[in-house]
Amino acid sequence: MSKNRVSRRQFLSYTIMGVGGFMASGTIMPMLRFAVDPVLQKSGEGDFTATPQRVDELTETPVRVDYTIVDRQDGWYKSDESYSAWVYKSGDRIVALSPVCKHLGCTVNWGGDKNHPDQFFCPCHAGRYEKNGKHVPGTPPIGPLDEYLVMEKDGYLYLGGTRPNTLV
Amino acid sequence: MNWNSQDMDTYFQQKDYIDTLLVPLLKLETVPEALKGSSSATEFLMHLSNFIETQFRGRMMVLPPFTYTQSTNLQEMGNVLSKDLQLMDFKHIFYLTTDRAWTDVDIEGEMIWLPSIPLESMDQQLRKTVIEDQLRQVLPLLTNKWTE
Ligand code: FES
Repeated sequence: MSKNRVSRRQFLSYTIMGVGGFMASGTIMPMLRFAVDPVLQKSGEGDFTATPQRVDELTETPVRVDYTIVDRQDGWYKSDESYSAWVYKSGDRIVALSPVCKHLGCTVNWGGDKNHPDQFFCPCHAGRYEKNGKHVPGTPPIGPLDEYLVMEKDGYLYLGGTRPNTLV
Repeated sequence: MNWNSQDMDTYFQQKDYIDTLLVPLLKLETVPEALKGSSSATEFLMHLSNFIETQFRGRMMVLPPFTYTQSTNLQEMGNVLSKDLQLMDFKHIFYLTTDRAWTDVDIEGEMIWLPSIPLESMDQQLRKTVIEDQLRQVLPLLTNKWTE
């Protein structure tokens, strides 16, 4: 028998390495894309988006602030994406909470439940949150509402990305 | 939830909470005079169903629109949908359309018909307000079913 014959075991290990190699390239490719494509890179200040909300008009009562990120390219679908935040003043601090329910992602409203006018309410499964975003035990949500990074510029409110709630 | 594999995984984990199916029904008219109106209605319907999806994604699965042309027999299509969509184990099925003809069709589930509004001439903010107003009309239909 020739010494060069590929044994069954060797053959298997080649095949597996082959597949493994293929899978590795699958995971490396997207990472490369992030490294190379400047559009996908996070930049410092550029991450903040202007909102139409004047900072001096904010009060202790949460108001909904809508803003739009223009011309986001999402696959073949080009769109302006709309976002909202619930914003209020707490002393000197501006608090901006994400409206995305921590249970399964519906949109929450301030005062949406008549019986709890001073709370955020999720219409999907009656989830509730206190004003600082803390979820009310016994309702479905499993954590507090996320918080937006905020910035003031020329009197207007700018919103950045979200981070875990720091008020609770 | 949207009809994509990631949301589907969540759906399977949280099936008890996601008990509603929203099915957009989209009429695509092919005669030249009707193209403009038809495309405008498409935009309206897609915006509205997207908006509903963001509001209620934890409770609803929103399907891609079922598209048909002007010669489609709606009752036949309705029968097929009634039969097939039942297989998916949802407690409530809502259909969303701007085509009035569906109001005469016998179908399993709730038909929500809204007249189309030309959004194309509106700026972002107005568009949002209009869509929200429309949602407010639809809202009681949904919540009444949910609290039944
Ligand atoms: S998604 Fe908000 S309570 Fe379930």
